Amino acid sequence: MAFLAHGPYRIRYELDGPSGAPAYVLVNGLTQYAELWTAYRDALIGRGFRVATFDLLGQGESDKPTLFISQDDQVAALHLLICELGDGPVFLSGISFGGLIALRYATAHGQRLSGLVPMSCFAELPPQLFLLGNALRAGLILGGTSYLQDLLLSMNVSDAWLAPVLDRLDAVKRQGWLVNDMYALQNLMESFLEFKPLTQQLPAIGIPTMILNGEFDFLTPRALHDTLRIQIPNSSLVIIPRAYHAFTLEKPALTADLLARFADDVLAERWQGNKAVWIAPEEAGGDLVPFPDGYDHLRAIPVRRATP
Amino acid sequence: MSKFLGPLDLDGRVPPQQQTRVSAFLISAHGALGRRFALSLPMRLESAWQTELNAQLYNEVEIVSLMMRATSWAPDLALGYLAASWEIAWFPGPTEGLSDHALAAAVDVATLAHAVHAGIRPAALLPVEANANDPFVMALRRVEFESGRLLQAQIMFLKGDSLVPFRDGVSAVLERRHLQVRKLWREMLQSLGIADGTEIEAKP
Repeated sequence: MAFLAHGPYRIRYELDGPSGAPAYVLVNGLTQYAELWTAYRDALIGRGFRVATFDLLGQGESDKPTLFISQDDQVAALHLLICELGDGPVFLSGISFGGLIALRYATAHGQRLSGLVPMSCFAELPPQLFLLGNALRAGLILGGTSYLQDLLLSMNVSDAWLAPVLDRLDAVKRQGWLVNDMYALQNLMESFLEFKPLTQQLPAIGIPTMILNGEFDFLTPRALHDTLRIQIPNSSLVIIPRAYHAFTLEKPALTADLLARFADDVLAERWQGNKAVWIAPEEAGGDLVPFPDGYDHLRAIPVRRATP
Repeated sequence: MSKFLGPLDLDGRVPPQQQTRVSAFLISAHGALGRRFALSLPMRLESAWQTELNAQLYNEVEIVSLMMRATSWAPDLALGYLAASWEIAWFPGPTEGLSDHALAAAVDVATLAHAVHAGIRPAALLPVEANANDPFVMALRRVEFESGRLLQAQIMFLKGDSLVPFRDGVSAVLERRHLQVRKLWREMLQSLGIADGTEIEAKP
């Protein structure tokens, strides 16, 4: 197990794959830990990438500051990890809270990146997300980590994923419950108490950016991802069919394939963001199709987009 | 070295020797907090925060009572020495940078309570096969669950407006208390053949 030092704190990380290859850095969501990227690590290494995974400050095997964890410190820790990768191409991707940290990193150190993939992500806290975040925090305080996991699982994955594991849900939750301490999760959630919207900084992200959003994600709905698409110049929005907020857990083969294809396109100079909206295939290897022309991708029913 | 208590007996119960030492540690730590809270409380409550302190006191007493009754005790010759070392560790510690003695005392007890409530996770020691209907197993789960709730009072105080000017100093005192409490917890577990995988200092 390898560690980076950020001030008095240590960040647990892992590098896998050929050292000279283009690298993917994967950033965990709030209640996650590095091992949840194992399927991605294997798939991306198989496609010729080097893969860096780590636990954020306050997560898993990284140190857990007792009282405050600032998002600036998370960005600084991520920078330390990316500095470990040398001078080759680096692609950065993160899910949810990790996507926000990746966005923050791109606004501060975008020149170091070859590409960015924010997933189930947001740059601002509109009232629904703010209140949901507060409710999740209250759930953690009143019911503990296990109750927070219950809330997140029921909201963020599909019936198709839940049904086969419903009778062993405690086992599914156990590793996350073991490695994540309640006070540290609370500190991570309370890092939003000083949150300032990133929207105005997004146009400064000049690198190729593929934004991934689950079709049925109601924790961070499409409008939040569309803000990223509109504000980041060389971006595209890709909608993952039948997916919820935690599609990285539910559809690892498809998502890893999309990550690899994006990086391959960028490295081959084929990528053109054009602020386009795409629909991902149902399975890895399928074709992406453009969102139907003239229809409003922000609606859940087929409504024609208003002509400006 | 295992990360969990055991091996369990055929009924899914934790060996009495392990129950004894884990319980003794929890009784020592939560008992110390109870004593500190009791000494801080006036006979008649005069402020809203004293209401919370009163609740904290009786929750700590409940944890001590629960562990005493739920444990299958076994003779343990090392317990006298261990308990003495634990009790010394709970003594008030230095709180640099706080010249207000009353505030410093409050910070000291709050940091100790934060370290005990946040850093000690007895339920995480239970293997999945542990018998959910065993009183000791249930007690460990209850202690961890209640600690998470009790912790909120310490978080609100230590993150509160009154300590904003002393944020770095308070954080340093708290980090130190966490290290101290976890070190004692880890050493106690190691004496039972259990490795606490969450311990900071165990990292390379």
